[in-house]
Amino acid sequence: MSGARSFDTVSLVAGMVVIALGGLLLLDRLEVIDIGFGYLFPLLTAATGAILLAGGLAARPGR
Amino acid sequence: MSVRPAEGSEAGAPTAPASSRPPPVRRDLSRRVLGGVCAGIGRRLGIDPIVLRVGFVAAAVSGGVGILLYAIAWAFVPAEGAQRSAAARIRGRRESWQAAAGTGLLVLSALLVFRELGIWFSDALVWPVVVAAAGAALIWRQSTSATGGGPAAAAPAGRTSALATPGSRTEPPGASPAGAGGGSAAEAAAPTPPRVITGLPLRGGPALSRAGLGVALVLGAGLFFLQANGALGALRDVLLAVVVVLIAVGLILAPWWWRLVRNLTEERTERIRSQERAEMAAHLHDSVLQTLALVQRRAEDPREVAGLARRQERELRAWLTGRSEPEARRSVSTALEGVAAEVEETHGIPIDVVSVGDAPVDDDALTVIAAAREALVNAARFAGEHGPVSLYAEVDDERLHVFVRDRGPGFDPSAIPTDRRGVRESIIGRMQRRGGRATVHAAPGGGGTEVELVMERER
Repeated sequence: MSGARSFDTVSLVAGMVVIALGGLLLLDRLEVIDIGFGYLFPLLTAATGAILLAGGLAARPGR
Repeated sequence: MSVRPAEGSEAGAPTAPASSRPPPVRRDLSRRVLGGVCAGIGRRLGIDPIVLRVGFVAAAVSGGVGILLYAIAWAFVPAEGAQRSAAARIRGRRESWQAAAGTGLLVLSALLVFRELGIWFSDALVWPVVVAAAGAALIWRQSTSATGGGPAAAAPAGRTSALATPGSRTEPPGASPAGAGGGSAAEAAAPTPPRVITGLPLRGGPALSRAGLGVALVLGAGLFFLQANGALGALRDVLLAVVVVLIAVGLILAPWWWRLVRNLTEERTERIRSQERAEMAAHLHDSVLQTLALVQRRAEDPREVAGLARRQERELRAWLTGRSEPEARRSVSTALEGVAAEVEETHGIPIDVVSVGDAPVDDDALTVIAAAREALVNAARFAGEHGPVSLYAEVDDERLHVFVRDRGPGFDPSAIPTDRRGVRESIIGRMQRRGGRATVHAAPGGGGTEVELVMERER
Protein backbone atom coordinates (compact mmCIF):
# COMPACT_ATOMS: atom_id res chain seq x y z
CA MET A 1 0.00 0.00 0.00
CA SER A 2 1.62 3.19 -1.08
CA GLY A 3 1.25 6.48 0.75
CA ALA A 4 -0.31 9.70 -0.50
CA ARG A 5 0.12 10.07 -4.23
CA SER A 6 1.94 13.17 -5.39
CA PHE A 7 0.58 15.14 -8.31
CA ASP A 8 2.14 17.44 -10.85
CA THR A 9 1.06 21.01 -10.18
CA VAL A 10 1.68 22.10 -13.77
CA SER A 11 -0.44 19.29 -15.16
CA LEU A 12 -3.18 20.09 -12.67
CA VAL A 13 -3.24 23.76 -13.59
CA ALA A 14 -3.05 22.98 -17.30
CA GLY A 15 -5.92 20.52 -17.03
CA MET A 16 -8.09 23.00 -15.13
CA VAL A 17 -7.32 25.71 -17.65
CA VAL A 18 -8.21 23.48 -20.58
CA ILE A 19 -11.44 22.40 -18.85
CA ALA A 20 -12.36 26.04 -18.26
CA LEU A 21 -11.62 26.93 -21.86
CA GLY A 22 -13.61 23.98 -23.09
CA GLY A 23 -16.54 24.99 -20.90
CA LEU A 24 -16.51 28.54 -22.21
CA LEU A 25 -16.34 27.37 -25.82
CA LEU A 26 -19.20 24.97 -25.16
CA LEU A 27 -21.30 27.80 -23.73
CA ASP A 28 -20.45 29.83 -26.81
CA ARG A 29 -21.51 26.94 -29.04
CA LEU A 30 -24.79 26.67 -27.14
CA GLU A 31 -25.22 30.41 -27.66
CA VAL A 32 -25.41 31.02 -23.94
CA ILE A 33 -22.56 33.48 -24.23
CA ASP A 34 -20.88 35.07 -27.21
CA ILE A 35 -17.13 34.81 -27.33
CA GLY A 36 -15.63 36.74 -30.21
CA PHE A 37 -12.00 36.97 -31.17
CA GLY A 38 -11.65 40.00 -28.93
CA TYR A 39 -12.30 37.79 -25.91
CA LEU A 40 -10.91 34.51 -27.21
CA PHE A 41 -7.43 35.88 -27.78
CA PRO A 42 -7.07 37.20 -24.19
CA LEU A 43 -8.46 33.91 -22.90
CA LEU A 44 -5.85 31.90 -24.79
CA THR A 45 -3.17 34.31 -23.63
CA ALA A 46 -4.30 33.99 -20.04
CA ALA A 47 -4.39 30.21 -20.28
CA THR A 48 -0.85 30.10 -21.62
CA GLY A 49 0.28 32.56 -18.97
CA ALA A 50 -1.31 30.57 -16.16
CA ILE A 51 0.39 27.35 -17.27
CA LEU A 52 3.75 29.06 -17.62
CA LEU A 53 3.41 30.74 -14.25
CA ALA A 54 2.49 27.47 -12.60
CA GLY A 55 5.50 25.81 -14.19
CA GLY A 56 7.80 28.58 -13.03
CA LEU A 57 6.49 28.61 -9.47
CA ALA A 58 6.30 24.84 -9.11
CA ALA A 59 9.88 24.27 -10.23
CA ARG A 60 12.34 23.58 -7.46
CA PRO A 61 15.75 25.27 -7.39
CA GLY A 62 18.47 23.13 -8.85
CA ARG A 63 16.09 20.85 -10.61
CA MET B 1 63.59 42.58 19.89
CA SER B 2 61.28 43.52 22.70
CA VAL B 3 57.64 44.05 22.08
CA ARG B 4 55.63 45.97 24.62
CA PRO B 5 51.89 46.08 24.35
CA ALA B 6 50.70 49.60 24.96
CA GLU B 7 48.07 50.33 27.54
CA GLY B 8 44.61 50.61 26.23
CA SER B 9 45.63 49.14 22.97
CA GLU B 10 43.11 46.39 22.83
CA ALA B 11 41.99 46.09 19.30
CA GLY B 12 38.39 46.03 20.18
CA ALA B 13 35.99 45.95 17.38
CA PRO B 14 34.50 49.39 16.90
CA THR B 15 30.82 49.49 17.36
CA ALA B 16 28.90 50.63 14.34
CA PRO B 17 26.64 53.60 14.90
CA ALA B 18 23.02 52.73 15.09
CA SER B 19 21.35 53.20 11.75
CA SER B 20 18.84 56.00 11.65
CA ARG B 21 17.42 55.02 8.28
CA PRO B 22 13.69 54.43 8.16
CA PRO B 23 12.60 50.80 7.78
CA PRO B 24 11.99 49.53 4.24
CA VAL B 25 8.50 49.22 2.81
CA ARG B 26 6.77 45.95 3.64
CA ARG B 27 3.33 44.72 2.65
CA ASP B 28 1.10 44.90 5.72
CA LEU B 29 -0.81 41.61 5.72
CA SER B 30 -2.57 42.32 9.01
CA ARG B 31 -4.59 45.20 7.51
CA ARG B 32 -4.77 44.00 3.95
CA VAL B 33 -7.69 44.07 1.57
CA LEU B 34 -5.92 42.25 -1.25
CA GLY B 35 -2.17 41.90 -0.96
CA GLY B 36 -1.43 44.52 1.70
CA VAL B 37 0.33 46.86 -0.73
CA CYS B 38 -1.69 49.97 0.10
CA ALA B 39 -1.62 49.23 3.84
CA GLY B 40 2.16 48.78 3.79
CA ILE B 41 2.86 51.89 1.72
CA GLY B 42 0.41 53.92 3.78
CA ARG B 43 2.04 52.85 7.03
CA ARG B 44 5.49 53.65 5.65
CA LEU B 45 4.41 57.10 4.39
CA GLY B 46 2.19 57.84 7.36
CA ILE B 47 -1.01 58.31 5.38
CA ASP B 48 -4.34 56.55 5.42
CA PRO B 49 -4.29 53.50 3.13
CA ILE B 50 -7.84 54.37 2.04
CA VAL B 51 -6.39 57.25 0.05
CA LEU B 52 -4.01 54.92 -1.75
CA ARG B 53 -6.74 52.37 -2.37
CA VAL B 54 -8.95 55.00 -3.95
CA GLY B 55 -6.04 56.04 -6.14
CA PHE B 56 -5.32 52.49 -7.25
CA VAL B 57 -9.01 51.83 -8.01
CA ALA B 58 -9.26 55.04 -10.02
CA ALA B 59 -6.14 54.11 -12.00
CA ALA B 60 -7.51 50.60 -12.54
CA VAL B 61 -10.85 51.84 -13.82
CA SER B 62 -9.28 54.38 -16.16
CA GLY B 63 -7.40 51.97 -18.36
CA GLY B 64 -6.17 49.22 -16.09
CA VAL B 65 -2.87 50.87 -15.23
CA GLY B 66 -3.67 50.61 -11.53
CA ILE B 67 -3.89 46.83 -11.80
CA LEU B 68 -0.49 46.69 -13.43
CA LEU B 69 1.06 48.97 -10.82
CA TYR B 70 -0.51 46.99 -7.99
CA ALA B 71 0.74 43.72 -9.45
CA ILE B 72 4.25 45.11 -9.78
CA ALA B 73 4.18 46.40 -6.22
CA TRP B 74 2.90 43.07 -4.94
CA ALA B 75 5.63 41.24 -6.80
CA PHE B 76 8.53 43.45 -5.73
CA VAL B 77 7.59 44.52 -2.20
CA PRO B 78 8.19 41.71 0.30
CA ALA B 79 5.51 40.92 2.84
CA GLU B 80 6.00 41.64 6.51
CA GLY B 81 8.25 39.01 8.04
CA ALA B 82 9.38 37.69 4.65
CA GLN B 83 13.02 37.95 3.74
CA ARG B 84 12.46 38.38 0.03
CA SER B 85 9.73 39.55 -2.31
CA ALA B 86 7.84 37.19 -4.59
CA ALA B 87 9.87 38.46 -7.54
CA ALA B 88 13.10 37.90 -5.64
CA ARG B 89 12.04 34.34 -4.82
CA ILE B 90 11.21 33.69 -8.45
CA ARG B 91 14.48 35.24 -9.64
CA GLY B 92 16.54 32.66 -7.84
CA ARG B 93 15.11 29.83 -9.88
CA ARG B 94 16.29 28.49 -13.15
CA GLU B 95 12.73 28.55 -14.48
CA SER B 96 12.25 32.21 -13.57
CA TRP B 97 11.72 33.03 -17.26
CA GLN B 98 8.62 30.86 -17.22
CA ALA B 99 7.15 32.72 -14.30
CA ALA B 100 8.05 36.07 -15.89
CA ALA B 101 6.52 35.10 -19.23
CA GLY B 102 3.43 33.73 -17.52
CA THR B 103 2.97 36.89 -15.47
CA GLY B 104 3.42 39.00 -18.58
CA LEU B 105 0.85 37.00 -20.53
CA LEU B 106 -1.66 37.21 -17.68
CA VAL B 107 -1.23 40.99 -17.45
CA LEU B 108 -1.54 41.24 -21.24
CA SER B 109 -4.73 39.21 -21.25
CA ALA B 110 -6.21 41.35 -18.47
CA LEU B 111 -5.41 44.50 -20.42
CA LEU B 112 -6.93 43.05 -23.59
CA VAL B 113 -10.11 42.14 -21.72
CA PHE B 114 -10.35 45.66 -20.28
CA ARG B 115 -9.84 47.03 -23.77
CA GLU B 116 -12.55 44.79 -25.16
CA LEU B 117 -14.93 45.81 -22.39
CA GLY B 118 -14.32 49.48 -23.15
CA ILE B 119 -12.69 50.18 -19.79
CA TRP B 120 -9.83 51.71 -21.57
CA PHE B 121 -8.08 55.01 -21.56
CA SER B 122 -6.26 55.09 -24.89
CA ASP B 123 -4.00 52.84 -26.93
CA ALA B 124 -1.62 55.77 -27.22
CA LEU B 125 -1.22 55.87 -23.44
CA VAL B 126 -1.65 52.36 -22.05
CA TRP B 127 0.65 50.41 -24.36
CA PRO B 128 3.59 52.82 -23.99
CA VAL B 129 3.08 52.68 -20.23
CA VAL B 130 3.08 48.88 -20.30
CA VAL B 131 6.23 48.71 -22.42
CA ALA B 132 7.96 51.35 -20.29
CA ALA B 133 7.00 49.47 -17.12
CA ALA B 134 8.51 46.28 -18.54
CA GLY B 135 11.71 48.14 -19.40
CA ALA B 136 11.84 49.80 -16.00
CA ALA B 137 11.37 46.41 -14.33
CA LEU B 138 14.31 45.03 -16.28
CA ILE B 139 16.53 47.99 -15.36
CA TRP B 140 15.40 47.84 -11.75
CA ARG B 141 16.11 44.15 -11.53
CA GLN B 142 19.55 44.64 -12.99
CA SER B 143 20.37 47.49 -10.62
CA THR B 144 19.15 45.66 -7.52
CA SER B 145 20.89 42.42 -8.41
CA ALA B 146 24.11 44.23 -9.23
CA THR B 147 24.26 46.35 -6.11
CA GLY B 148 23.15 44.50 -3.09
CA GLY B 149 23.93 47.73 -1.29
CA GLY B 150 26.12 49.38 -3.89
CA PRO B 151 27.61 48.76 -7.30
CA ALA B 152 30.95 47.83 -5.81
CA ALA B 153 29.36 44.93 -4.07
CA ALA B 154 28.74 43.28 -7.38
CA ALA B 155 32.31 42.09 -7.41
CA PRO B 156 34.35 40.76 -4.55
CA ALA B 157 36.80 43.13 -2.98
CA GLY B 158 40.22 43.07 -4.50
CA ARG B 159 39.03 41.72 -7.75
CA THR B 160 41.76 42.21 -10.25
CA SER B 161 41.85 42.85 -13.89
CA ALA B 162 44.69 42.72 -16.30
CA LEU B 163 43.44 45.86 -17.94
CA ALA B 164 44.56 49.11 -16.43
CA THR B 165 41.77 51.61 -16.36
CA PRO B 166 41.74 55.25 -15.37
CA GLY B 167 41.41 55.45 -11.69
CA SER B 168 42.96 52.08 -11.13
CA ARG B 169 45.95 51.71 -8.92
CA THR B 170 49.13 49.85 -9.55
CA GLU B 171 50.52 48.14 -6.54
CA PRO B 172 54.22 48.77 -6.42
CA PRO B 173 56.41 45.73 -6.81
CA GLY B 174 58.48 46.67 -3.88
CA ALA B 175 55.73 47.47 -1.51
CA SER B 176 56.53 44.70 0.84
CA PRO B 177 58.47 44.37 4.02
CA ALA B 178 61.04 42.12 2.48
CA GLY B 179 64.57 43.08 2.11
CA ALA B 180 68.16 42.21 2.43
CA GLY B 181 69.02 39.18 4.37
CA GLY B 182 65.43 38.54 5.01
CA GLY B 183 65.72 34.84 5.42
CA SER B 184 62.45 33.24 6.27
CA ALA B 185 60.95 36.55 7.27
CA ALA B 186 61.86 38.00 3.93
CA GLU B 187 60.36 35.05 2.14
CA ALA B 188 57.23 35.26 4.21
CA ALA B 189 56.77 38.86 3.28
CA ALA B 190 58.00 38.52 -0.27
CA PRO B 191 56.75 41.29 -2.52
CA THR B 192 54.56 40.52 -5.42
CA PRO B 193 55.05 41.69 -8.98
CA PRO B 194 53.10 44.72 -10.14
CA ARG B 195 49.40 44.15 -10.46
CA VAL B 196 46.59 46.43 -11.36
CA ILE B 197 43.64 46.68 -9.05
CA THR B 198 40.54 48.24 -10.38
CA GLY B 199 37.65 49.56 -8.41
CA LEU B 200 35.22 48.63 -11.13
CA PRO B 201 33.29 45.41 -10.89
CA LEU B 202 33.55 43.11 -13.87
CA ARG B 203 30.06 42.80 -15.26
CA GLY B 204 28.80 39.94 -17.33
CA GLY B 205 27.31 40.15 -20.78
CA PRO B 206 23.82 38.90 -19.82
CA ALA B 207 23.48 41.58 -17.14
CA LEU B 208 24.45 44.29 -19.59
CA SER B 209 22.12 42.95 -22.25
CA ARG B 210 19.23 42.89 -19.74
CA ALA B 211 19.88 46.49 -18.76
CA GLY B 212 20.27 47.42 -22.43
CA LEU B 213 16.98 45.77 -23.30
CA GLY B 214 15.30 47.65 -20.46
CA VAL B 215 16.67 50.98 -21.66
CA ALA B 216 15.58 50.17 -25.22
CA LEU B 217 12.07 49.32 -24.04
CA VAL B 218 11.73 52.56 -22.09
CA LEU B 219 13.06 54.65 -24.98
CA GLY B 220 10.89 52.77 -27.46
CA ALA B 221 7.83 53.34 -25.29
CA GLY B 222 8.60 57.05 -25.15
CA LEU B 223 8.99 57.26 -28.91
CA PHE B 224 5.83 55.23 -29.42
CA PHE B 225 3.94 57.57 -27.11
CA LEU B 226 5.20 60.63 -28.96
CA GLN B 227 4.40 59.07 -32.33
CA ALA B 228 0.91 58.06 -31.25
CA ASN B 229 0.19 61.55 -29.98
CA GLY B 230 1.58 63.28 -33.05
CA ALA B 231 4.43 64.94 -31.21
CA LEU B 232 7.22 63.03 -32.91
CA GLY B 233 7.34 65.32 -35.93
CA ALA B 234 8.42 68.36 -33.94
CA LEU B 235 10.81 66.28 -31.87
CA ARG B 236 12.27 64.80 -35.06
CA ASP B 237 13.01 68.27 -36.40
CA VAL B 238 14.72 69.27 -33.18
CA LEU B 239 16.70 66.04 -33.00
CA LEU B 240 17.75 66.37 -36.63
CA ALA B 241 19.09 69.86 -35.99
CA VAL B 242 20.92 68.71 -32.86
CA VAL B 243 22.45 65.73 -34.64
CA VAL B 244 23.63 67.87 -37.56
CA VAL B 245 25.21 70.39 -35.19
CA LEU B 246 26.87 67.62 -33.18
CA ILE B 247 28.29 66.00 -36.31
CA ALA B 248 29.64 69.34 -37.52
CA VAL B 249 31.22 70.11 -34.15
CA GLY B 250 32.62 66.59 -34.00
CA LEU B 251 34.21 66.91 -37.43
CA ILE B 252 35.77 70.24 -36.44
CA LEU B 253 37.08 69.04 -33.09
CA ALA B 254 38.02 65.52 -34.12
CA PRO B 255 41.75 66.20 -34.78
CA TRP B 256 42.18 67.96 -31.43
CA TRP B 257 40.20 65.33 -29.64
CA TRP B 258 42.23 62.55 -31.21
CA ARG B 259 45.49 64.26 -30.32
CA LEU B 260 44.31 64.84 -26.76
CA VAL B 261 43.37 61.22 -26.31
CA ARG B 262 46.68 60.08 -27.73
CA ASN B 263 48.66 62.45 -25.50
CA LEU B 264 46.74 61.39 -22.43
CA THR B 265 47.34 57.75 -23.25
CA GLU B 266 51.04 58.30 -23.78
CA GLU B 267 51.31 60.36 -20.61
CA ARG B 268 49.52 57.74 -18.61
CA THR B 269 51.66 54.97 -20.00
CA GLU B 270 54.82 56.93 -19.24
CA ARG B 271 53.62 57.71 -15.73
CA ILE B 272 52.90 54.06 -15.02
CA ARG B 273 56.25 53.08 -16.49
CA SER B 274 58.15 55.61 -14.40
CA GLN B 275 56.30 54.55 -11.27
CA GLU B 276 57.15 50.92 -11.88
CA ARG B 277 60.75 51.89 -12.57
CA ALA B 278 60.92 53.84 -9.31
CA GLU B 279 59.36 50.99 -7.35
CA MET B 280 61.75 48.50 -8.87
CA ALA B 281 64.69 50.75 -8.04
CA ALA B 282 63.42 51.11 -4.48
CA HIS B 283 63.10 47.37 -4.14
CA LEU B 284 66.57 46.74 -5.54
CA HIS B 285 67.95 49.31 -3.14
CA ASP B 286 66.20 47.72 -0.19
CA SER B 287 67.26 44.21 -1.04
CA VAL B 288 70.22 43.70 -3.34
CA LEU B 289 72.19 46.86 -2.61
CA GLN B 290 71.72 46.47 1.14
CA THR B 291 72.88 42.89 0.98
CA LEU B 292 75.91 43.85 -1.09
CA ALA B 293 76.80 46.50 1.50
CA LEU B 294 76.49 43.90 4.26
CA VAL B 295 78.65 41.49 2.27
CA GLN B 296 81.37 44.11 2.00
CA ARG B 297 81.25 44.82 5.74
CA ARG B 298 81.39 41.15 6.68
CA ALA B 299 83.76 39.93 4.02
CA GLU B 300 85.97 38.30 6.64
CA ASP B 301 83.26 35.75 7.51
CA PRO B 302 82.64 33.50 4.48
CA ARG B 303 79.81 31.57 6.17
CA GLU B 304 77.84 34.69 6.95
CA VAL B 305 78.42 36.05 3.48
CA ALA B 306 77.19 32.79 1.99
CA GLY B 307 74.10 32.94 4.22
CA LEU B 308 73.37 36.50 3.15
CA ALA B 309 73.69 35.50 -0.49
CA ARG B 310 71.36 32.53 -0.07
CA ARG B 311 68.69 34.60 1.66
CA GLN B 312 68.94 37.30 -0.98
CA GLU B 313 68.65 34.73 -3.73
CA ARG B 314 65.53 33.25 -2.14
CA GLU B 315 63.98 36.68 -1.74
CA LEU B 316 64.71 37.65 -5.33
CA ARG B 317 63.34 34.39 -6.69
CA ALA B 318 60.14 34.82 -4.64
CA TRP B 319 59.77 38.36 -5.92
CA LEU B 320 60.36 37.39 -9.55
CA THR B 321 57.90 34.51 -9.45
CA GLY B 322 55.28 36.58 -7.67
CA ARG B 323 54.98 34.10 -4.84
CA SER B 324 53.22 35.66 -1.90
CA GLU B 325 53.07 34.29 1.58
CA PRO B 326 50.16 35.70 3.58
CA GLU B 327 51.51 34.54 6.95
CA ALA B 328 53.32 37.76 7.76
CA ARG B 329 50.60 39.87 6.16
CA ARG B 330 47.84 39.02 8.55
CA SER B 331 48.03 42.21 10.55
CA VAL B 332 50.00 45.41 10.54
CA SER B 333 51.48 44.90 14.01
CA THR B 334 52.56 41.34 13.18
CA ALA B 335 54.18 42.48 9.95
CA LEU B 336 55.98 45.34 11.71
CA GLU B 337 57.25 42.99 14.40
CA GLY B 338 58.45 40.61 11.70
CA VAL B 339 60.29 43.38 9.91
CA ALA B 340 61.87 44.59 13.15
CA ALA B 341 62.95 41.06 14.01
CA GLU B 342 64.48 40.62 10.59
CA VAL B 343 66.46 43.88 10.80
CA GLU B 344 67.47 43.10 14.38
CA GLU B 345 68.79 39.72 13.32
CA THR B 346 70.56 40.97 10.23
CA HIS B 347 72.25 44.01 11.79
CA GLY B 348 72.58 42.82 15.36
CA ILE B 349 71.05 45.85 17.08
CA PRO B 350 68.11 45.84 19.56
CA ILE B 351 64.81 47.26 18.34
CA ASP B 352 61.92 48.12 20.67
CA VAL B 353 58.50 47.75 19.07
CA VAL B 354 55.35 49.33 20.49
CA SER B 355 52.12 49.11 18.57
CA VAL B 356 48.73 50.54 19.42
CA GLY B 357 45.76 49.11 17.59
CA ASP B 358 45.87 46.73 14.68
CA ALA B 359 44.38 46.19 11.26
CA PRO B 360 44.64 43.75 8.37
CA VAL B 361 47.47 44.39 5.96
CA ASP B 362 46.30 46.04 2.79
CA ASP B 363 48.22 47.73 -0.01
CA ASP B 364 48.60 50.99 1.92
CA ALA B 365 49.90 49.13 4.94
CA LEU B 366 52.39 47.23 2.80
CA THR B 367 53.83 50.53 1.64
CA VAL B 368 54.14 51.82 5.21
CA ILE B 369 55.75 48.57 6.34
CA ALA B 370 58.28 48.67 3.52
CA ALA B 371 59.14 52.31 4.31
CA ALA B 372 59.40 51.51 8.03
CA ARG B 373 61.74 48.65 7.25
CA GLU B 374 64.00 50.93 5.26
CA ALA B 375 63.99 53.47 8.12
CA LEU B 376 64.93 50.69 10.56
CA VAL B 377 67.77 49.56 8.30
CA ASN B 378 69.07 53.13 8.08
CA ALA B 379 68.87 53.51 11.85
CA ALA B 380 70.67 50.20 12.36
CA ARG B 381 73.41 51.08 9.92
CA PHE B 382 74.10 54.63 11.00
CA ALA B 383 73.01 54.79 14.63
CA GLY B 384 72.96 51.22 15.87
CA GLU B 385 75.93 51.62 18.18
CA HIS B 386 74.35 54.60 19.98
CA GLY B 387 71.58 52.62 21.63
CA PRO B 388 68.41 50.76 20.82
CA VAL B 389 66.20 51.78 17.93
CA SER B 390 62.51 52.19 18.66
CA LEU B 391 59.52 51.63 16.42
CA TYR B 392 56.18 53.03 17.51
CA ALA B 393 53.02 52.40 15.48
CA GLU B 394 49.48 53.68 15.87
CA VAL B 395 46.88 51.95 13.76
CA ASP B 396 43.23 52.90 13.65
CA ASP B 397 40.42 53.12 11.14
CA GLU B 398 41.53 56.46 9.79
CA ARG B 399 45.31 56.27 9.49
CA LEU B 400 48.54 54.38 9.94
CA HIS B 401 51.10 56.33 11.94
CA VAL B 402 54.59 54.93 12.39
CA PHE B 403 57.64 56.48 14.07
CA VAL B 404 61.18 55.09 13.83
CA ARG B 405 63.59 56.73 16.28
CA ASP B 406 67.29 56.29 16.91
CA ARG B 407 69.80 57.93 19.21
CA GLY B 408 72.48 58.44 16.62
CA PRO B 409 74.38 61.58 15.65
CA GLY B 410 71.59 62.80 13.37
CA PHE B 411 72.00 64.29 9.93
CA ASP B 412 70.75 66.99 7.62
CA PRO B 413 68.20 65.46 5.22
CA SER B 414 68.75 68.23 2.68
CA ALA B 415 72.43 67.36 2.51
CA ILE B 416 71.88 63.82 1.25
CA PRO B 417 73.68 63.29 -2.07
CA THR B 418 71.38 62.92 -5.05
CA ASP B 419 72.72 59.46 -5.89
CA ARG B 420 71.62 58.04 -2.53
CA ARG B 421 68.16 56.54 -2.80
CA GLY B 422 67.49 55.23 0.69
CA VAL B 423 65.64 58.11 2.33
CA ARG B 424 64.63 59.89 -0.87
CA GLU B 425 63.11 56.98 -2.79
CA SER B 426 62.63 54.02 -0.49
CA ILE B 427 60.98 56.08 2.24
CA ILE B 428 59.73 59.48 1.06
CA GLY B 429 59.11 58.63 -2.60
CA ARG B 430 57.49 55.31 -1.76
CA MET B 431 55.07 56.94 0.68
CA GLN B 432 54.24 59.81 -1.67
CA ARG B 433 53.51 57.51 -4.60
CA ARG B 434 50.88 55.81 -2.47
CA GLY B 435 49.37 59.06 -1.22
CA GLY B 436 51.09 59.04 2.15
CA ARG B 437 53.63 61.27 3.83
CA ALA B 438 57.11 60.70 5.24
CA THR B 439 58.95 63.27 7.31
CA VAL B 440 62.49 63.04 8.64
CA HIS B 441 63.02 64.91 11.91
CA ALA B 442 66.77 64.94 12.38
CA ALA B 443 68.88 66.86 14.85
CA PRO B 444 72.50 67.00 13.69
CA GLY B 445 74.97 66.89 16.52
CA GLY B 446 73.75 63.92 18.52
CA GLY B 447 70.06 64.64 18.79
CA GLY B 448 69.05 61.48 17.01
CA THR B 449 66.70 60.98 14.07
CA GLU B 450 63.00 60.33 13.86
CA VAL B 451 61.26 59.16 10.69
CA GLU B 452 57.50 59.77 10.74
CA LEU B 453 55.28 57.85 8.33
CA VAL B 454 51.62 58.76 7.89
CA MET B 455 49.15 57.02 5.61
CA GLU B 456 45.49 57.99 5.62
CA ARG B 457 43.40 54.88 5.24
CA GLU B 458 40.65 54.42 2.70
CA ARG B 459 37.33 53.95 4.48
